Amino acid sequence: MDHLGFIAVVYGTTFAVIIALVVRTLSQGRDLASKVADKDKPWT
Amino acid sequence: MDLTPRTSEVNAPLAPRKRNTKWGYIALLVVIVVAGGTIVTKFLTSAIDYYCNVDEIGSRVGCEPGRRIRVQGTVEKGSLKSINNSTNFVMMFNDKTIQVVYEGDPGGIFQECIPVVAQGRLVGDVFEATRIEVKHSNAYVADNTDRLTKAEAQVCSPQAG
Amino acid sequence: MDAQTFNARVATPTTRLVGAMAIVSLAWVVIGGLFITPKDVDQGDAVRIMYVHVPTAWVAYLAFIVTAVASACWLLSRKHSMGFDRVAGASAEVGVVFMAMTLLSGSLWGRITWGTYWAWDPRLTTTSFLLVTYIGYLAVRGLGGSLEQRARRSAVIALLAVLEIPLVHFSVLMWRSLHQKASVLSGDGDIKMDGSMLTTLLVGVIGFTMTFAWLVLHRQRVLAMQDAMQMTQLDAALRERADESKGLK
Repeated sequence: MDHLGFIAVVYGTTFAVIIALVVRTLSQGRDLASKVADKDKPWT
Repeated sequence: MDLTPRTSEVNAPLAPRKRNTKWGYIALLVVIVVAGGTIVTKFLTSAIDYYCNVDEIGSRVGCEPGRRIRVQGTVEKGSLKSINNSTNFVMMFNDKTIQVVYEGDPGGIFQECIPVVAQGRLVGDVFEATRIEVKHSNAYVADNTDRLTKAEAQVCSPQAG
Repeated sequence: MDAQTFNARVATPTTRLVGAMAIVSLAWVVIGGLFITPKDVDQGDAVRIMYVHVPTAWVAYLAFIVTAVASACWLLSRKHSMGFDRVAGASAEVGVVFMAMTLLSGSLWGRITWGTYWAWDPRLTTTSFLLVTYIGYLAVRGLGGSLEQRARRSAVIALLAVLEIPLVHFSVLMWRSLHQKASVLSGDGDIKMDGSMLTTLLVGVIGFTMTFAWLVLHRQRVLAMQDAMQMTQLDAALRERADESKGLK
């Protein structure tokens, strides 16, 4: 594949950032869910 | 009445951070204003060089010969030559042509029959480019099709895409 | 608290379904984009960057439009539901990340095809200005004050900032630009793209949109819990001061 380095950086960075966002969001959610009462969580 | 939450065990990590965070956001806003100003300034400075088609050189205001301009056109088939370290080719647009010379390799997917933008100055009959950028079209054609289709895709368009 | 209990509190069947759809679509994009779709006749393998670049740009636009719509809903609704404000904030956060990814992938794609990482071209300039604007929007959200103050000032900025999007999208038509014009949303109905390339691109758009939806749904729940904690702390402070004034402490 031509320009493999460039393509790998694009795909690698994009999906690494998405995974990092997902992990951070889940982690923050888990942390806060243990401190916030269920009455303040309308989705439960 | 001061309603700042006291540093109890539950809110201790949040309370002292709040004020520092606010100043952090103010600093960020200052950086953003500077960045926005820099972007606009760079764009306007770049826009000083008129963006002309090959056929507009000498006929459109801002595209006078001798003035520093950006010219767009298509690299004419069979015209591309590399002499010593310089790249020589003919650029065309609407049946008008211009000889272009550039010191070095333009890079990118520069090739014959591809639209390009050359930045520089017309000296005599030759456009002396200091920067060349490839302006690929918005058409995406598979490279694994039969030779006829590929040959058709290689036909030079008289206009930049 | 174990992981299962956590999921019950933050995730819902809807977000799980959206998440699963996003994973499947993005897996298709990686496999199809890198290994199945053909090379482009001019660009060669560099065209594979398009399957990431275009969907992230689309999601960034969508995110900023959602921010504007949610902001308008907050301003116009009688109850000024903070849910609208949180959706606006969550959407802008995700949009900024996707816009930054668009600029990064575009810059690398430009190095391969144009021969340069960056040019002060109308599309590139307006896009970078849009990114800076929404970073500013997020900074304003973080300035403090009451939840209503935050919602009001950020809603006004969001409604002004969204006006930049047509400028970005049509910049390639309004000015002579190095950036190519739209291939799919060109307006003339003629899609200038090979079939398998187009399919992969559309799956990419769906996959990244699902990812955006999942992130916004979860992020606005996180923001809701942060706001709830802030209000709880404020209530506690009020009770404490009231007790002090009554000489109970």
